[in-house]
Amino acid sequence: MSESVDTPESGGGAKEQERFLPIANIGRIMRRGVPENGKIAKDAKESIQECVSEFISFMTSEASDKCMKEKRKTINGDDLIWSMGTLGFEDYVEPLKLYLKLYREMEGDTSKGSQSGKKEVVLNGQPGSSFNGM
Amino acid sequence: MRLARPYSGVFRGGATARTGPHALPLARIKKIMKRSAGDGSGGDGAGARMISGEAPVVFSRACELFVAELTRAAWAATLDGKRRTVHREDVAQAVRDTDLFDFLVDVVKDDAGHEHGGDGGVGAGAGEGEGRAPACDDGDGVL
Repeated sequence: MSESVDTPESGGGAKEQERFLPIANIGRIMRRGVPENGKIAKDAKESIQECVSEFISFMTSEASDKCMKEKRKTINGDDLIWSMGTLGFEDYVEPLKLYLKLYREMEGDTSKGSQSGKKEVVLNGQPGSSFNGM
Repeated sequence: MRLARPYSGVFRGGATARTGPHALPLARIKKIMKRSAGDGSGGDGAGARMISGEAPVVFSRACELFVAELTRAAWAATLDGKRRTVHREDVAQAVRDTDLFDFLVDVVKDDAGHEHGGDGGVGAGAGEGEGRAPACDDGDGVL
């Protein structure tokens, strides 16, 4: 399954798709939200694609404003988590704080500041589940 | 079946070939972020914000949570309509029904514009609503 959307009427083609996360990935995550007998139409996946991009934009804007007020140039993970808490996504805050903490600890073990493609992090498990693995 | 190990619920070894170790591609997330990270459009010389390496990682998890939540709400609308296939209208219904998703009102509005008008676009321009014509309307469109 390729990552590109195979709708010929997508107009801009590749450039348009850069505005969204890949529909295959979106579809996989969506499937976790419906029971076994549920189906997901392609138009629903496209709609969620658009919503996710808007979510990213919205949170980033808020985080960017915060950085500007605090005279900082770099948006970091804490800024994003703060934005989500401020904009109604409080339920995401604790799981994301924990996730970020673990990520930072793992990053600290390897070379500092480099973003190698071999990070041993995989998102798995049910969304919304607490990290009982700890 | 995997046994629980320390951190196994969160981090697990093994990268997939396609998107790398994360469920969502970090580079693409970063591209989308850059469109909103103060790209110099403000006249006060704020300039573009830089984005730390961990920011897309946070989003990759946050977007999973978000997609799952929105999908579950859309599924509720699907069941309401006594159907088993989630369609675009169900997503729109979920947005209408949930205050948390108010910022998506313009995004899910279709071309006919029959959705209730919300606040103006809150995002930084990602919600144009006319760039993505709905896919084929014949039958279910189910893949």
